[in-house]
Amino acid sequence: MRRTDKYRFYFLLAMLAALQFTVRSRLGDERAAPDFLLLALLIYTIRTQPGKAAAAGLLVGLLRDSLTPASFGAGMLAHTVVGYLSAWGKAVFFAENLFVNACLFFGGTWVRNLVIALASGKLRGGQLGWELLVWSPLQGLTTAVAGVLVLWLFRRWVHVRVSEA
Amino acid sequence: MALGADRYASRADTLVFLGCLALSLAAMSLPPAWRDPIASALRQSVLAPFLELQRESELLSTSQSRFEAVTAQRDSSALAATFLPELRAENERLRALLGLGRRLGGGYVPAEVLHQAAPTDPLGLVLSAGRDKGVRSLAAVVSPEGLVGLVSTVDAHTSIVITWANLEFRASAMAADGSVYGIVAPHGTEGPGVWLLELQGVPYRQLVPTGTRIFTSGLGGVFPRGIPLGTVIGVAGETEGWERTYLVRPAVHPSAVTHVMILLGAHDLRNAFTTDSAPAGGGGLP
Repeated sequence: MRRTDKYRFYFLLAMLAALQFTVRSRLGDERAAPDFLLLALLIYTIRTQPGKAAAAGLLVGLLRDSLTPASFGAGMLAHTVVGYLSAWGKAVFFAENLFVNACLFFGGTWVRNLVIALASGKLRGGQLGWELLVWSPLQGLTTAVAGVLVLWLFRRWVHVRVSEA
Repeated sequence: MALGADRYASRADTLVFLGCLALSLAAMSLPPAWRDPIASALRQSVLAPFLELQRESELLSTSQSRFEAVTAQRDSSALAATFLPELRAENERLRALLGLGRRLGGGYVPAEVLHQAAPTDPLGLVLSAGRDKGVRSLAAVVSPEGLVGLVSTVDAHTSIVITWANLEFRASAMAADGSVYGIVAPHGTEGPGVWLLELQGVPYRQLVPTGTRIFTSGLGGVFPRGIPLGTVIGVAGETEGWERTYLVRPAVHPSAVTHVMILLGAHDLRNAFTTDSAPAGGGGLP
């Protein structure tokens, strides 16, 4: 891998972070719009080791928790778990195609929201049900679609083989 | 980068993961007095450019919609110019739309809501106005429909709002005619009453009819008197011979709010939110 490829990869992650704070609010309901910051984390975990992925998850979670103090710490826990499991899962299953990556994005988003909802203790009963059965799957779906688009458009930058079924 | 079996979690990876988990759990157990300064410092340093980006994006979005609205109004005005009475009526309607800001006077700061992608977003909102605009802690946050919440933390350029949906939220409240007083709190998270408020502590002998509008009472000095909280939709429960609790449909839902006003002074807002379309029990306040 060339040195410029590395910079391109981090530029892509920065671009996703910028999309989170600019475009996301215009993509419909806040609860269902794709989470570009989580997507950046998951794309990072595709290429890295589980330990680094967990640390990156902790960092992303800390930044998210600063913006949602109602669940401070829960975001750190959720992103750490998702980052580690994502990197570990990619290594174990060793599958490189669009569908597997889409499943990773969908599952990562849903698990992240599940852990936040449970760990924060703020959502219970009906709220928890709606969050886990309606809004989280919708957000997972939109995040997966956005992730597939990103991987397909920037496949040379992220070095992921996307053409194999 | 090659992917393969050599990327399975090593002992070092597991240790890092466990360390991150421990840090996360420690963060969750931090008292608000410790965690708020950390969050505030991050918002004012690492996250400041991103929040500024989000604020600019919201402003751009608002500018576009305003431009479309102005264009539509201009076209409408050109058409209506031939009918002077209709033009006058249009002006009256536009003045009514601007009414809340005018009735509030100068004691407020407008702000955009910077929504975040988290399930708990409706419980605590980030606003685009902070200390630089004169925002203070415990300031009431309202939209044209009613009370959104109160400011809990103030940074240099942003502030955090605890909405009425947060389980820690309480407000002293009264019925529209001032006959009943109580405490309004979130109804909780169980059952079909999710995202509703409840009016607690109403004496058993005082009945509150369905449709009665509930306002802040001004008691306690946190919220000004007369901000709409919601409308009574039924009885939530009662303590035999002692008190009743009523279900209240909130005047505004936090996740649907895009722009708010942060009240800076202790106003009496009994006339600010009064509308002609208020249901029975609404209208003028005592």
